[in-house]
Amino acid sequence: MNDIILKVEGAHTFIGQHHILQGISFESKADAVTVLIGRNGAGKSTALRTVIGLLPSSEGRILFKGIEIQNKKPYQIARMGIGYVPENMGIFAELTVEENMRVAMLVEDGPAAQRLERTLDMFADLRKFWKAKAGNLSGGQKQMLAIARAIVNETSLLLIDEPSKGLAPILVDALIEAINQIKEHSVVVLVEQNFFMASTVGDYFYILDDGMVVHSGLMEELVRDEELKRRYLGISKAED
Amino acid sequence: MAETMFRRWGRELTIAGAIVLFLLPLIGIPGKTYLTLTIAGLAMGMLVFLVASGVSIIFGLMDVLNFAHGALFAWGAYVGFTVFKHLMNWVEADSVLQNLAVFFIAIVAAMLVVALLGIVLERVIVRRVYGFHLFQILITFGATIVLVELIRVFWGPNDEVMTVPLTFSRNWDIMDIVVYRYRVICIVIGLIVYGVIQLILKKTKLGMIVRAGVEDREMVQAMGHNIFLLFTGVFAVGAGLAALGGLAMSIFSLQVYPDMGGTYLLFAFIVVIIGGLGSVTGSLVGALIVGLAYNYVAYLVPWAAAGVNIMIMIIILLIRPTGLFPAGK
Amino acid sequence: MAEPTPVQIFHTEEKRMQYRSSGFFLRVGLLVLFLVVPFLFPSFKTVDLAMQIIMFATLVASFDILLGYTGILSFGHGMFFGIGAYCVAFLIGKYGMPSYFNLALGFITAAVVASALALLISFLSLRVKAIFFAMITLAIAELAIVLATKLSGFSGGEDGISIFMPGIFAVSFTLGDLMGLEITGRVVTYYFILLFCLGLFLAMLRFTHSPLGRVLQAIRDNTQRAEALGYKTFLFQAISITFGCVVASIIGGLYAMWVAYVNPESCLGVLTIMLDVLLMVIIGGMGTLYGGIVGAAFLKISQTFLPDLQNLAKGLLPHAEFLHNILERWLLLFGILFILVVVFFPKGVIGSVRDYMAGRNRVLG
Repeated sequence: MNDIILKVEGAHTFIGQHHILQGISFESKADAVTVLIGRNGAGKSTALRTVIGLLPSSEGRILFKGIEIQNKKPYQIARMGIGYVPENMGIFAELTVEENMRVAMLVEDGPAAQRLERTLDMFADLRKFWKAKAGNLSGGQKQMLAIARAIVNETSLLLIDEPSKGLAPILVDALIEAINQIKEHSVVVLVEQNFFMASTVGDYFYILDDGMVVHSGLMEELVRDEELKRRYLGISKAED
Repeated sequence: MAETMFRRWGRELTIAGAIVLFLLPLIGIPGKTYLTLTIAGLAMGMLVFLVASGVSIIFGLMDVLNFAHGALFAWGAYVGFTVFKHLMNWVEADSVLQNLAVFFIAIVAAMLVVALLGIVLERVIVRRVYGFHLFQILITFGATIVLVELIRVFWGPNDEVMTVPLTFSRNWDIMDIVVYRYRVICIVIGLIVYGVIQLILKKTKLGMIVRAGVEDREMVQAMGHNIFLLFTGVFAVGAGLAALGGLAMSIFSLQVYPDMGGTYLLFAFIVVIIGGLGSVTGSLVGALIVGLAYNYVAYLVPWAAAGVNIMIMIIILLIRPTGLFPAGK
Repeated sequence: MAEPTPVQIFHTEEKRMQYRSSGFFLRVGLLVLFLVVPFLFPSFKTVDLAMQIIMFATLVASFDILLGYTGILSFGHGMFFGIGAYCVAFLIGKYGMPSYFNLALGFITAAVVASALALLISFLSLRVKAIFFAMITLAIAELAIVLATKLSGFSGGEDGISIFMPGIFAVSFTLGDLMGLEITGRVVTYYFILLFCLGLFLAMLRFTHSPLGRVLQAIRDNTQRAEALGYKTFLFQAISITFGCVVASIIGGLYAMWVAYVNPESCLGVLTIMLDVLLMVIIGGMGTLYGGIVGAAFLKISQTFLPDLQNLAKGLLPHAEFLHNILERWLLLFGILFILVVVFFPKGVIGSVRDYMAGRNRVLG
């Protein structure tokens, strides 16, 4: 099954007068995790926000399961089955965990309830703090909540922006575990600066620099390519 | 120093301060008058609350500064006035049922018409200036002028007398204290509205989405909700509430005039500053403070009445600029 | 001798080009036009129109310092104008004899009172969000009108104050004929006000182009960054606001000199002065001092010809009662105009022209 679920072709995005994305193209295949990596300011987050429609792309096409979505509004895109976990997690702090999840759920029928159960099975802490205010959760728990919200509907594509940021290593392990489970029925596009995380979960990679894709391929190749890692990611053998 | 002190003991200080404020006038006012004034103050506060809550939620959710709320308030009063004029026999009838019926019809008519006005306002005008506070103020200021002038076109430029439904204008005599019926009605209306809003916000899914939207508009969109529809809806509800306030106030003060929105909008803004943007409870508390303060001071030191609320606002601005119950933002 | 830096070269070039550009000729032409109006079109109505345009253009420019350059919307500007008018009226009318000294004193008093109030407003603008600030200034402005009306013993109340000008400005003064025009006190007053306004306008231009002005624009565009760069933003904003308000009060004084009558409605009124200023600054263009000239000219000319327009409409469509009603309510028309301009031409005339020119330059250069 090598269907291309998400295809971005030559997207340009401006934020104000700044030309952030200068014609990027990437694809995301079914049952695989595609990682966008690169240094700060390369345009990785912008790329995700353009896909979900929070930023308009001035040029290029974005296709989700063959349908063009670059001109759709964010809520329409989300309803097509795309989940988004932003860099700041987007948790509604004043609402309880339960309310956060309910806002996320677009329908609340039988199958939806089952999906909720399965999601909560994955993230036990959320059940424990069901009635607590989301703002009172720890960093790791908030991240779990953010991901749970994004997958509780029938999501076929999950966009996650730097989930491991600020998490303790043991939580990163839990995160990796969760993503491995998710990738069994959704496509994941992951933005990461943490190379360990990226290389462990990722199947394909795209290196972004200055708003363009400068390299791409299989993750296992990148892991072995010292030159590439050093040039674009600033990682040398000693740090690995 | 005042700010840190307030942060730790904020709630307690507020409650203590409120109790002091509440009881202080007893020093200068005889008990029975005090009760009458209190009821008047609460009633007035409730009416201001109706306008303020709309402003507060609209800003909290949509980040839109709506200057035109006062004009919507006036429109509500005028629509109600027209309903009364056409059903005058019901208004003047000595029957609680008929009075309540015509009151109800007036409320529904006023809220519907003004909600519609609000929808037009939001879609045609306000939507173009999302995110630009300066232009929002300018454009809603312009809208206020247009709306008020339209009142003059449709209803004429003169002040009109608003007839009070007969059974509303009576008093109850409780333990030798005269209690004006209509003021109690206003308080009841305010409490019902507050209750309904809280119910919707806290218990329904729509309310959750609104509260979530107040915190993070973008995220709610990215989660699949049509925030623009929500905006229009919230705006319409806010407008409807202003209309209700206007109608109720016109009966309270026995008159309608084209500029009536202006004064109450100022009060509403003071209330929102005191109570905090985006918080309905804050609007309620702030409105009651404003209403009570105004009435107590009006009795004790008449010329200072208008100024006392500005004073309270300045005090709040100095020690806690975000208001008593800041929400989300 | 050090090599001129690129920035210095740029500045000298800019200065040199300044005197050659079409914009410069336009401005000089305009000035000449205002100078000869009393000679070419001596009718009272025309001279009055020209004078009003000059005064309001400068007033709007002073408002633009607050709105366009400091980014603050204050509904109290009309009040400052009124304060200036009243100060002058008090000192040469109600509380003093007409004399040059008192006249000067009037202006000085106006400036002092305006500064004090402006500082108060600046402090307020720090603490509250834009809309609350706007609302509060509106409330204060309306309070001023109420005070002026109620405290009639002090202020002359609704009836207002009539004043007489001293010396060469007096109505009865005459210098004899010059090129067919009798130089009366009125003519002298016209040129006095014209030159004064020119001076104020140049001062405002100098202010915005100065380093101080540039810092202000930086603050307006990105307050946090300006603060991070070390600028005490509050100080700059306070200076800017005070400057704008003081200029407004001075123009108020000039207005009193011209109209020789002050009362709450015409000098302090929000819907009279403030709305006009807002319309003018939006039509002319925010953040472009010259916008005031365009806006003032447009609005004042329209207002002068509005009765004719109404009659024209009545003549063309004698049975459209509703239309007549709407036209009667000129405030309604201006309100609609205001909204339309804010929505479709937020940059105003000058702003749009500048954008267009910039766009052309980018293509050519």
